[in-house]
This record gives sequence, structure tokens and C-alpha cells, in this order.
Amino acid sequence: MLDFVYQSGWGAFGVLLLFQIPFLVVFLTIVFRKAYVNTAPSAISDSSVARWRSSWLALAIALFLIINLASIKFFPAVYSARAAASGVAVTDVTVDAQSWYYDMSAQEFEAGKPVRFNAQSLDTVHGFAVYHPDGHILFTMMLIPGVGRSSLIYTFDEPGTYKVRCLEYCGMSHHEMSDEIIVTASAS
Amino acid sequence: MSMASTMVASVPVFGRMFKLEGEPELHDINAWPAAMIMASFIWFSVAVLLGISMPLTQMLGLDASLFYTAVTAHGAAMAFPYVFQLMMGVGLHRAAGCLGKPLTGWLPAAAFWCMNIGGILFTIAILMGLKISYAVMYPLPIVGVETGQWSMTSVVIGFTGIAGILLTVILLYPVLTIKLMFFGKEREELVLSRRTLGDPGMLGMAMAAFVLLIMGMPLLIVASAVLLALYHIIPFAWVGWATDPLVFQFVFYIFAHNLMEAMAIMVISAVYATLPLYLADGTRKLYSTKAANLALWILLLTSVTSFFHHFYTMFPALPSALSYHGNIMSWGTAIGAAITIFTVAMTIIKHGLRPEAGIMAVLMGFTLYILDGASAIVTSNVAFSFQLHGTMWQAGHTMAVLIAMSMMWMGVLLHHYPVLTGRVLDPMRGKWFVILFTVGAIGVSYAFLAAGAAGMPRRFASWNQEGWMIYGYLILFFGLCLALSMVIFLIDVSKARRIGEGVVASPPKAAPAE
Ligand SMILES: [Cu+2]
Repeated sequence: MLDFVYQSGWGAFGVLLLFQIPFLVVFLTIVFRKAYVNTAPSAISDSSVARWRSSWLALAIALFLIINLASIKFFPAVYSARAAASGVAVTDVTVDAQSWYYDMSAQEFEAGKPVRFNAQSLDTVHGFAVYHPDGHILFTMMLIPGVGRSSLIYTFDEPGTYKVRCLEYCGMSHHEMSDEIIVTASAS
Repeated sequence: MSMASTMVASVPVFGRMFKLEGEPELHDINAWPAAMIMASFIWFSVAVLLGISMPLTQMLGLDASLFYTAVTAHGAAMAFPYVFQLMMGVGLHRAAGCLGKPLTGWLPAAAFWCMNIGGILFTIAILMGLKISYAVMYPLPIVGVETGQWSMTSVVIGFTGIAGILLTVILLYPVLTIKLMFFGKEREELVLSRRTLGDPGMLGMAMAAFVLLIMGMPLLIVASAVLLALYHIIPFAWVGWATDPLVFQFVFYIFAHNLMEAMAIMVISAVYATLPLYLADGTRKLYSTKAANLALWILLLTSVTSFFHHFYTMFPALPSALSYHGNIMSWGTAIGAAITIFTVAMTIIKHGLRPEAGIMAVLMGFTLYILDGASAIVTSNVAFSFQLHGTMWQAGHTMAVLIAMSMMWMGVLLHHYPVLTGRVLDPMRGKWFVILFTVGAIGVSYAFLAAGAAGMPRRFASWNQEGWMIYGYLILFFGLCLALSMVIFLIDVSKARRIGEGVVASPPKAAPAE
């Protein structure tokens, strides 16, 4: 469940709706009732206003904490550090991006084995986004030239053909800047 | 007649919408705002056509360069000559009328001309082939010359235009606001509705001016250095510190992020100032001024350093500590927003609402703004950012925040319109404008966000991959709703009737500006 929430764009969309739908319903109801149905002032005591305000802020702070704390294990820096510390051998891959192609030191990996992507740009700002065969983004990196290599460790779970795309606008053929990664079934 | 009012009167079509027919003694606060607002709508009309042309180029399978031309020109026109200039015009009018100080002399004129000539130069450069998106994507302008994508001349003209725009946004507008607020003598006859810096409506304007000036200054310095080198006034070797891609990206986002936040602080303060004037029981006060000011301070302090969220995905070049800081600060702005939501909602509950087009536009703009705030904080979480950065989600966020702010400013403009021009608007057209704009804006923003969730890249001239075209159709449909609402708005302002000719000003009595 948490994997879906934090590791697919639609999980983010779900969290978005969790915020938006209640706000939209409650706020618009208040506006339309007080504008068109009954515009008379509502007699609310100061103490109930204060109570409402505390509950509202408590809810906002609780959501703040829950959603962010639950996300920590999905931070690439965190799962990369965990993979590096696990003792399992990590395959290092270098990725050099330039207008409008990638130069990767390896493009075929085995499912279940951690891969460390070390990516840099050689000319302008590029992206390095890896897509799951079903079309959702697994991770993306922004590569600003001259800052050294961005890196993270990712472990592919399923065999298949994974698309690579540039997600930072980089000129006239930006939309053609793509490549592929092949993941094969685990040998063991 | 001043230069500004003569110019407005002489512009075809758009001039009629904003020419001054009100009290002549108010010309000193009306003329430049009217010129800025008029110019902003000219830019907007062009930007809408460019916006609609983007899905069309994809559906008709036209050349990618047309798409990238439209992306660059649309984004640039929307963010600066439209939304910022509209905000500048309406905001300055509000400040001048609250403080009783004239908007005359070289400063407002320079702010107007630098913005518009800058916008025109940048547009010329784009038509000459410079396609760098409104985010510049430095060092793309230079790499594009090296790889033969566009000419050095287009880069020089483009950077000159950008410098003009930045001069207005970072220097002239903030200095003008600060001058109005802290210097000069009040003129009794110009005071429309007296307010002090203690009012949330004025406090937000002052905060925004300082944020722009302080957070924008590094970019102004870097951009000026690059421009001097481009003009061969100084050798390129001297500006290596400024042409470093990382330096440019950081100063750009420290500015661009805080520009949006400054505009948000300003517009929220305008909501705080406008809402009380439309309360059904005539209270003319927010339920809590203290809570309103607290929200502005939280927004100010958390937003300044939340810009790190633009760089999470370059780990480890951006250290984790700064990512976490950006994550926490971005979500901190939501706490400010939560207080604002409560203040606005409780004020309406306690005092009831007079549903006129102006305030409804402000409140629907506010609704969009909060909806967009949710999309902003979701993508500011480090984990989500690695799924969403560079997708249509973020294009949708940028677009929605600009649309939301422009909606709120248009609401405030509807409120100021009678005193600005001496004419009143038709309530029925106003209502339809608000309804269509709200539907179009919410629809288009969900289409972008869903496209981003589905992994569709932004600024990407190939929507046919992976079945993304469905989002293109949705964007086009809701974009047309938005365009139609704007047509209704522009008809409304061009058919406004003069006060006095059997027409009474509708917002309270003589329509005070506040
Ligand atoms: Cu690229």
C-alpha cells in the first residue's frame, strides 16, 4: 500500500485528492450557503471558534507529520544508503547525458540486484528518468553540468524493457532524447 | 492628460476597456495602473492563443519547433507581462489609494516600459529561434548557439529583454512600493480608504516588495554580468563566476521561487483587504486580524528557503540536509495556508457574504490557489518529487498558481474598476466570467496533474507516446473554457457604462477602492 502511495505518480495523485476534495466540498459549501442560502450572520461563540481553530490546526499538523514521516523510507538517499549498507554487491553504472542521447556503461541488469546509477550531463541541463514498463516513473534525476555525478541505488523487481527519458527541457530534440534498459529475470 | 492616460486612450480595442473617465483629480493614482492593467490583458490575449496552439500542434502533428516556440513564448508572457504586470497595476492602485500618494514621475513609467519593452524584445528573440522555455534552462541559451539551434544575436536580444523584465520585477516595482509606503507626503484628496502597515492588506504588499528586492538581487547581479559580457563590454573570462551553470540555476530559483511566493503573499493580503468589504452584515473586518497577519508571517518565513525543493533530484549535489530542510519548509507554508483558510472561512460564516462578481472571483481564485497549494506541497515531499519532477504535474502547478493569482487580481480589479475608470460593469457577464473561469481553471489543472501522475513529461513535443494525448484533449477543452471566460470578461470591460448616465456605481456607494 505505502509502496503504491510513494512510488507511483498515482499514489501522489491520491494524496492530492485527500487534501483537495474535503477542502473543495467544505469551503464551497460555506461560501455558497453564506452567499445565496442564508446570508445572516451566524451566532457562534468565541469559545467554539477557538475550539474549531485548534482542531483544524491539529489536523493540519497531524497530516503534515504522518505523510512526511511515512515517506522517509522512500527517499532515494535513504533507500540508497540502506542498499549500500546491506552488504549485497552493487553494480555501478555510469551515465553520460548530452544533447540528445545517453551513454550508459551498461544497459542490461538482473532483477533483484541493486544498481547504482552515477549520472552526469556533459553540456546543458538534462534529466535521467527511468520508467517502469507499465509507464509510471520509477525515479528521475536532474543533471546540471559541472556539479559531478548525481547518484542513487535502485533495485529492479521485474524483468522487462524500461524506458529512459530526459525530463528537463534541453532544446529542439528534447522529446527524442530517450533510451532503454533491459532487466532480465533473476538467475538465482 | 498624463502620458499614461493619453497612451491608454490611443490604444485600439484594449484602450477603450481601461480609459479614464472618472474624477480627474484621481488621475495621479489611476493613470499608470490603468496602463499596466491594459498592457497585461494585451499580453494575456496573445498568451492564451499560444497556450491553445500547444495541444493543437500535437494533435495536428506539426513541427516540434512550433511547439517549443509556443512553450517559451506562452510561459514567458503569462508569468511576467501578464500576471506580474496585472498584479503591479492593481496592487499599486490599491496601495496609492490607501496611502493617498500619487503614482507619478519616472519610477512608474520606467516600471511600465522596462516590463513591456523587455517582453517585446524577448518575444522577438523567441521568433528569431531562441527556444529556452521561460525557465531559461541555463546554460541552454549558450549550448544552443554552439550546437546551431539558434543564433547568438537571438541570445543577446533575448537576454536584453529578460534584463528589462527583471529590472521591473526585482528593482523598480519593489522600490516604487517601498517609496509609496515609507516616503513621500500624503495628499488628502487621493486617500480613497485609509490603511496602515498594521492592516494585513498593506503588510503583505510591503513583505512582497522586500522579498522581491532581496531574493531577486543575486539574479539581477548575475544576469547583468552575463549581459555585459554578451555585449562585449567586459570579457567573458571576467564573468566565469556568473556563467557557472550551478550558480545560475541557484540564483534563478532563489528568485523565481520567491517571486511566486511574494506574489502569493501579495494576493493573499489583497484577499484579506477585499473580503471584509463584501460581508453581508456590513462588519468590514476579518474575524481576526491577528490570525491573518500570523499567516502572512508564517508564509514569509517558511517560503524563503523552501526553494530547495527545485533541486532534490540532483542528490548528492544537493546535500540531503538541504532537501529535508526544503521539504519541511515547503510543508510549513501549508500551515500558513491552513490559518488563512480558517480566517477566510470563519469570516464568511460569522458575517455572511454579498455575492458580487468581484468577491466571487476573489474567492474562486482563492479556492484554486489552495487546491494548487496542495499539489505544490505533494511534489515538495522528497519521495514524491522523484516521481513527479519534470512532469506535467509541475507544469500544472506553475500554471495553476498563475491562473489562481490572476483570478484573484481580476476579482480585486472588478472591485476597483469603477473608481479606476469611472464606469461600472454588468453583473450578469461578471457572473458568467467567474463560473466559466472556475470550471476551466479547475479542469485544466486536474488534466495537467493527472498527466504528471501518468508520467507525461512537461515541455515535451511528443504527446502521442504512451497514450498521453487524452490529457492533451482535456487540456484543450478546459483551455477553451478559460479562453471563453476571458472573452466574456473583455466584452464586459469594453461595454462598461459611465457612472452618472443613469447608472449607479454598484460596489458600496461611491465605490471606494478599499
Ligand atoms: Cu535532455
